[in-house]
Amino acid sequence: MATTTAAVTLTSDLLSDNMSVSTSTTCMKGGTSADGLDQIDMGYVEIATGTNFDLLNADDTNNVNKANKVYVANESTDETYYVVITIDATVVGRLYAGDWMFIPWGAEDATADIEIQAYTGTNKISYAYLHEGKLLGSA
Amino acid sequence: MATTAAITLASDITSAFGGITKTMTLTKAGAVTDIEETTGFSRRKLAATTAVDLITMANELVEPSDNTAAKVYIQNIGDGKGNIDKTTYVTVLIGATAGTTQEVGRLYGGDWLLMPVTVVDDMDVVVAPSTNDAVVLEYTMFYE
Repeated sequence: MATTTAAVTLTSDLLSDNMSVSTSTTCMKGGTSADGLDQIDMGYVEIATGTNFDLLNADDTNNVNKANKVYVANESTDETYYVVITIDATVVGRLYAGDWMFIPWGAEDATADIEIQAYTGTNKISYAYLHEGKLLGSA
Repeated sequence: MATTAAITLASDITSAFGGITKTMTLTKAGAVTDIEETTGFSRRKLAATTAVDLITMANELVEPSDNTAAKVYIQNIGDGKGNIDKTTYVTVLIGATAGTTQEVGRLYGGDWLLMPVTVVDDMDVVVAPSTNDAVVLEYTMFYE
């Protein structure tokens, strides 16, 4: 079985007693504790302003309602640059330069794409998509 | 006053994947100034499949700034007694329980997420367990 782990450490001194959270999870296929996610897509793209693009397309029936995981990082360095992350026309939030996110992705129907639109300037985005399968098109 | 989040992804799926390690400092939108507000760290136990608001944006004591650099962290820690079931999950959604919601994804036992949020009213963080068994979520939000 492939083994993929996702660990996070979150620290903050905003409270009088500092917050510090560290955890790690093994990314399994949906509904099982015996078989790990075993396929991955990765990429690095430059997103120009002006258009909302599909970063990940949900029309692959192999991954509907599974335990997919998505990592997206904004590798831009100008702090005023950001991208808006949307799922099926619902805005999730903004990733500013230097920000990253890690989410499960239901990909519950063909319109539940993960979309991305850049603002201020061309944003540099890296991503990784852990999933259970990919439907390849016929040649 | 800084808030940081560091992720490490490691996998043996393919030798071409060298892993990912990235740390971010949570800052205000479009600035290098540290983010200054948080809900604090919370824990909520659920025991029904009914969808509920985990974070209701309109209920924040000080109205946060919309569409800025807010982030939410959530972890499914199992039943809260050390038992983590990787086969059950909590669906995380964005929207209003009384209105329209959009699924983000399924947070299985032990899994965590960290994502940006708009903090716009009625764009709440909604959760819905897959079973009636007890499941505990730990969560926090940072915002402006």
